[in-house]
Amino acid sequence: MLEPIARAVQSNSAFRAICRPLSSAWVNLSGYRRYGMRYDDLLREETPIIQEAIARLTRDETDGRVYRQKRAFQLSLSHQELPLTQWTKPQDDYKYLQPLIEEVRLEHVERDAFNSMTFVKK
Amino acid sequence: MLSYRITMFQSKVAAKIVAPIASRAYASVASAPVVSTANGIKVAAVAGNSDSPLASVSLVINAGSRFETSESAGAAHYLKAFGFRNTQTRTSFRTVREAELNGATLTAETTRENITYTVQCFKEAVPYFVEVLGDIAAATKFAEHEFKDVAQLVGFESLSARSDPMSRALDGIHQAAFRSGLGNSLYALESSPVSSGDAVRQYAQSALAPGRIAIVATGVDAQELANLVSSSRLSSLVTPASALSSPAASFTGGVQQIYDSASPVSHYALAFASEPASAQSLAALLGAQSRIKWSSGVLPLAKLAATDGFGIAPFSFAYSDAGLVGVIVSAPNTRIKAAVEKVAATIQREIASASGEAIQRAAAAARVDVAESLATQQGQIHALSNIALGQTAATLESVDDAAAKLSSAAARVFKSKPVAVSIGLSQNTPYVDTLGF
Repeated sequence: MLEPIARAVQSNSAFRAICRPLSSAWVNLSGYRRYGMRYDDLLREETPIIQEAIARLTRDETDGRVYRQKRAFQLSLSHQELPLTQWTKPQDDYKYLQPLIEEVRLEHVERDAFNSMTFVKK
Repeated sequence: MLSYRITMFQSKVAAKIVAPIASRAYASVASAPVVSTANGIKVAAVAGNSDSPLASVSLVINAGSRFETSESAGAAHYLKAFGFRNTQTRTSFRTVREAELNGATLTAETTRENITYTVQCFKEAVPYFVEVLGDIAAATKFAEHEFKDVAQLVGFESLSARSDPMSRALDGIHQAAFRSGLGNSLYALESSPVSSGDAVRQYAQSALAPGRIAIVATGVDAQELANLVSSSRLSSLVTPASALSSPAASFTGGVQQIYDSASPVSHYALAFASEPASAQSLAALLGAQSRIKWSSGVLPLAKLAATDGFGIAPFSFAYSDAGLVGVIVSAPNTRIKAAVEKVAATIQREIASASGEAIQRAAAAARVDVAESLATQQGQIHALSNIALGQTAATLESVDDAAAKLSSAAARVFKSKPVAVSIGLSQNTPYVDTLGF
């Protein structure tokens, strides 16, 4: 119900023109880049779909993810931030996990559709 | 050739009944037209029995294990196992569920020459499954997470093949006879360098040249099938930059001894090089298995096996440029040496100089085998794919040609130097150069 509305708003060019300048400021304020993390490191991972998506990451992506999370945890414990030069750069903050989550989600949707199929007699 | 049947039945009535059936059902495969699509994919089909609702469609890729190199050893086995997996347009889950809803069977198999993905289904589902097969060829994802599942399956198949002495012997026979190319194992061994979906994709990319692909079907009209193929994703395939190649098969001769002290039974495979077209008839001439129940018959090797109490199984392989024919002898470790020596002596003494009656018997047996196989969907698919790809196909015509030359072929082939593989207690198995060939 909400999804089509959200998509319509997102693809509205006027809305995008207003939001785009604010978005990078918003991301910087949210602070995760100061710990060297990427947005996809913060997604809630305790669901079967995201667990499966994480399992499909390549070895390099998994290693990087675990390293970033450990480092951030350590920094948080010691009440520190990374030096400015080591903050996550905007170009490194790409969606490495979300496409996989979407892929697995669609697989689940498909599976549910097949499992709740109704037969119509022609 | 019909004269065999007439003399067999000694009845003109029987001849009249047999003849129309024979000419109607079997001749169609050999004379099936091969249509080429715009981009060069071969399409062949037999419409078959119009009363039957059943059909089958196969995607045949001329990229079996003989085209593997040392960098891609085992890739054909992996490519086979990637059949019906996720593609850009369909998940494997959907393919399998829709096949189940249609009552279809999906199979994938590989030989040394071809990888074949087959769908057996009802006639009305053929257009859908041509699309599915087109997706396999043009849009398989080869995802890394799927590779884990595929590798498990491939590993299991390889392991079970290695623990079966018969398939191990046949793999060994090819290795000894041809070394590289046709000598490559059918199975991805543990040492296979293929370790990612990407490696399989690379092999697939060079394998999926339109000129290497055939779509064959039974229960479908050939022109109709060609139209379906042209409107599927198969029509978008283009010749890739790197092409697969295989060294021309040359029979080198050699021996493999695989030591297995735990087994109480030893196996000994003996194989000769032959013309590909005559391999099957020559195997019938070896005729190690009696076709009469409860009797060892009159075939020399079958009689020998029955009186001496060992097992014997003939085999033959017909590739596009080479043929192999031979037997596998199995006996308790203590008796394997005597058994193999007697078999070798019988082949040299009796079978190499087989008489007219034995030749006629072998020709009839080979003809029955081919006719029987061409009466099945599986046999028709094999014959059609060989014809479409210009390989050696077993048809009634080819078996009759071979029968005419059988006596001279036997004299030549069964006096040449064979290759051998022994599995079991190697101390007891004879070396091939002591067998007098």
